[in-house]
Amino acid sequence: MKRVLFLFLVFCSLSNLLLAQSRVHQHGTIVRMRMAPCLLAPHGFMAALSGTSRQQDTGELCPEYVLVADKVVFVIVGKTSNAIVPLAETTAFRLQNNELLVRIDDERHETRFTIREMVLRSEWGRVHPSVVEETGDPPRHHMETALDAETQR
Amino acid sequence: MSGTYHSTVSEVRLTFFTTDQHAQGRAQLKKDDFAVVDNGLVVRDFRSFSRSDVTQLDVLLLVDSSKSVLPRFRQEITDVLRLVSQTTSIADDHISIVSFGGMEPRILCAGNCRGAPAEAQLAAATADGQTPLFDAVLFAANFLAKHHDPAARPVLILFSDGEDTISRSSASDAIAAVLTSEAQIYAVDLGNAQSLSNGTVTLQNMAAATGGRYFAIREGAVKVLSSVLEDLHTGYIVTYRLPSRTAGFHWVRILPTRNLNLQFRCRRGYHYASAVR
Repeated sequence: MKRVLFLFLVFCSLSNLLLAQSRVHQHGTIVRMRMAPCLLAPHGFMAALSGTSRQQDTGELCPEYVLVADKVVFVIVGKTSNAIVPLAETTAFRLQNNELLVRIDDERHETRFTIREMVLRSEWGRVHPSVVEETGDPPRHHMETALDAETQR
Repeated sequence: MSGTYHSTVSEVRLTFFTTDQHAQGRAQLKKDDFAVVDNGLVVRDFRSFSRSDVTQLDVLLLVDSSKSVLPRFRQEITDVLRLVSQTTSIADDHISIVSFGGMEPRILCAGNCRGAPAEAQLAAATADGQTPLFDAVLFAANFLAKHHDPAARPVLILFSDGEDTISRSSASDAIAAVLTSEAQIYAVDLGNAQSLSNGTVTLQNMAAATGGRYFAIREGAVKVLSSVLEDLHTGYIVTYRLPSRTAGFHWVRILPTRNLNLQFRCRRGYHYASAVR
């Protein structure tokens, strides 16, 4: 009986830990914003990773952001034309079910974005040379500050 | 974009206005409360940020006197007269009235609009002819640019139903001229406010593109004037390094960095003529 109880407690702890980890936010900086065609449905993670997916647009315009995180650059599109996020120097976000959730005020308020493209930060310059030429590389210290804050939490 | 056309090619100077969730002008805006999106690039590093120190207005009232506004023409003239009579804080030589109806815009008064002759001329005006709206806006923009006083903010208060019928210029030409003159359009819609007509959309676009505002005629002259004066006293100026030397039109938008209830209003962009390297 004790063993069953012990296993049950271990299981509960592990599931809580996993749940907590899924709520852990990463940090990045939004360096670009433009209005782009809205996407009809979320598409696959692998397609986003390869950047080769074909997406159907709805004819409406939604905000598209380039979010530069520590290792990965995300190109994300809002689900509505009103999906405006604060353009603070540091943006907190997390990934869930092939979507990227941007934290707005606190952890209770998040806006969901479709991931249009994901590129390794080291590859970003090769994939989008014109964009890098315009924006330059975002300051590294923002990332480090953000990561430090997350570690201390 | 004040200064964009005149200052060094490496700096953008932008005048803007902000309101909170109660649509009230916000007096305590901080430098890190907003970011500028310039041609898609997010700019947070500003060279300077301050309250606008302009205290004078240079107002041109552009009055639609074409046949299409006939049902509301008397109300329009009454509002224009009321507006002129209430602009006591604006110098006499900084108010002009231009009407348009038929083929050409007509200057009713320039710098002497508070006198009885101008009032009589306005009161006797009739609504007739086609609507050369875009030509008239372009004319007004050039007029404001020509008489520009650097110490005054140029403002174009446009009374119209927004339905152009005969202009040689396009809406884009008209807006470009207003952007060059650095004026803002405060559009007063004489059309039927119950339905969203093409004219209403045109007026809303003109106001938004130049950082101005849109009003329905029922809101009255007092509201229009108080908005113009509020903007005069709650404007901010930000300058930043030109983020990209791509020649052509640079779209500009201001967005909050924290408080999404903040609304920002500024002209929609500026022309960057050449890539100097």
